[in-house]
Amino acid sequence: MALPLAQELIFGLVIGSYIALGAIGFTLVYGLVNMINFAHGEFITIGAFVGYLAVVFGGVSLPVALLVALLVAAVTGWAIARLTFEPMNDAGAVPLLLMSIGLGLVLRNGMRAIAGPDRRNVPVAVTTYRFDDLGFFVTSNQLFIIGVTLFAVLVLHLFLSRTMVGISMRATADNERLALVSGIDTRQIRNAVWLAASGLAGVAGVMLAVSQSANPSVGFGQLLLIITAAILGGAGSPYGAVAGSYLLGVGIAVSVAFLPADIVALSSTMAFAILIVVLLVRPGGIANTEVRTS
Amino acid sequence: MGGSVDAANRTDRRTFLKKTGACSVLTAGLAGCVGTEGNGNGDGNGGTPTDEPTDGDTTAGTTTEMAGPERVVIGQPASLTGQWDFLQPAVSQSTDLAVQEINEAGGPLDATLEVQRRDTAVDPQQARQVVRQLVDSDEVHAINGLFSSEIVPLWDFLQEQQVPVVTPWPGTTFLDTRGGDKGTDDLGDDEWLWRTVIGDTVHTSGAAEAMIDEAGIEQMGILSATSAGEEGWTRQFVNWYESLGGEVVEVVSAQGGQSSYQSQLDRLFENDFEAWALSFALEDATTIIRNWDEGGYGRQLLMEDGLRDPGLIDAVGDVAEGAWIAAGSTEGPNFESFLPKFRDAGDASLHPWGVAAYDATNVIALAIHHAGEASHDAIQRSLGDVARGGGTTVTTFAEGKEALDNGEEINYEGAVTNVDFTPHGNVWGDVAVDRVTPDGFENEFTIGADKLQAEIDDY
Repeated sequence: MALPLAQELIFGLVIGSYIALGAIGFTLVYGLVNMINFAHGEFITIGAFVGYLAVVFGGVSLPVALLVALLVAAVTGWAIARLTFEPMNDAGAVPLLLMSIGLGLVLRNGMRAIAGPDRRNVPVAVTTYRFDDLGFFVTSNQLFIIGVTLFAVLVLHLFLSRTMVGISMRATADNERLALVSGIDTRQIRNAVWLAASGLAGVAGVMLAVSQSANPSVGFGQLLLIITAAILGGAGSPYGAVAGSYLLGVGIAVSVAFLPADIVALSSTMAFAILIVVLLVRPGGIANTEVRTS
Repeated sequence: MGGSVDAANRTDRRTFLKKTGACSVLTAGLAGCVGTEGNGNGDGNGGTPTDEPTDGDTTAGTTTEMAGPERVVIGQPASLTGQWDFLQPAVSQSTDLAVQEINEAGGPLDATLEVQRRDTAVDPQQARQVVRQLVDSDEVHAINGLFSSEIVPLWDFLQEQQVPVVTPWPGTTFLDTRGGDKGTDDLGDDEWLWRTVIGDTVHTSGAAEAMIDEAGIEQMGILSATSAGEEGWTRQFVNWYESLGGEVVEVVSAQGGQSSYQSQLDRLFENDFEAWALSFALEDATTIIRNWDEGGYGRQLLMEDGLRDPGLIDAVGDVAEGAWIAAGSTEGPNFESFLPKFRDAGDASLHPWGVAAYDATNVIALAIHHAGEASHDAIQRSLGDVARGGGTTVTTFAEGKEALDNGEEINYEGAVTNVDFTPHGNVWGDVAVDRVTPDGFENEFTIGADKLQAEIDDY
């Protein structure tokens, strides 16, 4: 007997996983550094290219490529942030936002100038597991992206709840001044946030390079959905970002299946319809976080 | 001390404001001059200083009527960045190859041919600025470029410029009845755009014909992007396919740039059909084809002409093996001689638009030489003359220049088509349905241009 909506649910989890890996890092930066980082997509792109180089030229397996991309993207993202955002920390949210837009353009076109416009594919063998009686199939690739995302969420949860750095992060996100007078080195916390956010973006980049390709705009293409998921989940809340990402993913997949043929192209727009509805009902997003002021 | 610094700052600011104001007035004045000095519409000699006879031309005390410019400039709006940037390298390489050959043959009007290439990112607003820059600042004699998505919104603007545009890019049906010289000598009815690539109407009618008559497929589904070009292809294909008796059971549309298209495929393949068509840009098409293969959906795949790219083979040549791709002929009368020269010129991946860019550059150069002057009006008048039938057949600029210098009329036969311009400035060609293999494309069957011309009334 076919399970109703099982296939749509799997597709939704896959779409949500791609979004979630990017959204966690994006929302960590928003919560801790208090800035909307429009260059986050480019950190994803860096991960995509590193993953491509690791698999195609390094000859390593995909899990190893993920680790390499995580490390390289983390260090690169942190270094970029130290050079560009950190000196402007006290300038306020708007200058930081503008800086991130400019930085994103520079990075995107810089990568285009270096790597060229060609799309680079990451070859990965895929096995399909069919459960025809239950009415769905799932591929090894889909299981891998869902598994990587759930593992990242689990590690993040342990990091935030069981380590001093993680607890300090939460304290800083809650009230930076209070954290500072409590003896927390908020500069170190910011460093940790940039490392974590950029590293997760690198992992997202590798997965996108597998599903699409490594190209200069692969990360930027995901940015709108990532921002939507972060706001939907409650800007600044990593758990909310994960929930928002999966809500979007499942919403998009289900809408493709059930929207009338004439408007099925609007399935991507459903993400924003969901955002509007949730914010109307719950202005702080799913996690109901307090909206921060600059 | 602090007070003096403040005073100095105030003075600096005041000085700065004065200078800025003065510069603004000067700039505005210059802009006004540029805007009124000549609109570059080809009145007389195109308004370009380089068209003036040189001192050397008048040393004998007479002005030579045929004295040409020292250099002729073709403007090339290009997709150096943006979604379609991967297509530009072949077009740039082909254009540069043609320019090199033309200059080696002495150039049009014995002038040096140059290309001024500027990036539009295939954005209509940026394209508008680029065209204005090419016409007003670079004072180009003709333009070689512009995509469908730039031409359609800028149509009136382009007509106002009255600069001949010969473009290798657009497939849009918008141009089916627009452009060209309408087959008359009267410039008044001309529309200043010609294309050297086969239009979507020809592609889609050929694809539909092939599906019905050659493959015997009577029911199809379509997965289409929502971008203008892909939607246009889909709409045209559905019209032709259903007019020939086929049935399109469902069209599933989706926005590009998604990480997975499994939902859209799942929805499409709930329907009963024999083959499905895919109308997406290359980046998304490769994702979709991988998703299709992983999902085991099966059935015959037909892809739109834009996907006939070596990049498709590199990315999914193995999983898409056996799929069909319907595209206008990529091999015209001059293709065999063009191909080795193109390969020697660089390492860009060749595609039909790249070949068409070679034809566009040659046609412009021949038209300039045929015209005997480099004014916009004269070039526009000559474009049809050098490429339509009725003269000595030539396949290169060198051959054409020699024939023209001997007083003969010429008929340029191109590398992608025979470039026999219709009254609307379009070209015909066969439509080939190729089969995808891991090593490339292999011809499955071909629908002749003659058959398509009989079916398409206005083109």
